Amino acid sequence: MANPLRSEVIRLYKNLLYLGREYPKGGDYVRDRLRAAFTKNKWVQDPEQIKQMIARGEFLAKELEALYYLRKYRAMKKRYYEE
Amino acid sequence: MAARVLQQCVRSLARPSLRLCSGTLAVRAVAARTAAPHRPLSFAADSRRTRWLVQSQISSVGVSCRQYGDLPPLSLETIKDRVMYVLKLYDKINPEKLQTSSHFMKDLGLDSLDQVEIIMAMEDEFGFEIPDAEAEKLMTPAEIVQYIADKKDVYE
Repeated sequence: MANPLRSEVIRLYKNLLYLGREYPKGGDYVRDRLRAAFTKNKWVQDPEQIKQMIARGEFLAKELEALYYLRKYRAMKKRYYEE
Repeated sequence: MAARVLQQCVRSLARPSLRLCSGTLAVRAVAARTAAPHRPLSFAADSRRTRWLVQSQISSVGVSCRQYGDLPPLSLETIKDRVMYVLKLYDKINPEKLQTSSHFMKDLGLDSLDQVEIIMAMEDEFGFEIPDAEAEKLMTPAEIVQYIADKKDVYE
């Protein structure tokens, strides 16, 4: 409980949940997948390993942001140029 | 001759009567036209008379009707109702077991991820952000109610 990385993990979870609301397959899909991923690594104790996983989660968040950015760009391109 | 004179007489009698008839129609039309503008004028006059009353009514009613984005003032009771409503909609909570004092993890069998989701739902419901450090401590509905009441300056 007193693990300093705990708040990091929770923050990551929250952040990913917020990002997941916009996901094309729906927020519930993302939530289920996220929950499965987080509970799978529930018993990991090694701080280094946890840090690695947090880094992976943050990478995922960036990927999601990039995905949304691309989606927006494509939608705009579709509206302005006919091809 | 006599017949012609009679015919002329009849015609002359008939024509004025026609004229009279058309004249009365015209008079009626004119009367209607003149009456018609009178009505709006009278209405305008009436509305001028009643406008003060109407305005005063609107201004007194408008305060309670037009709130735009504003919600009715929060009280501890309404906060509690809304919190419990949100919690009941959360699929992993059994609504029958739910009490204001029940602990999310100990009594309701949720984990910390569920608690994060509950806090997010509360943020959506009440429209403000709850910092993670504070969110970790909120473990019962009663604590959430108390926290929101503190943040929204609701007492009693």
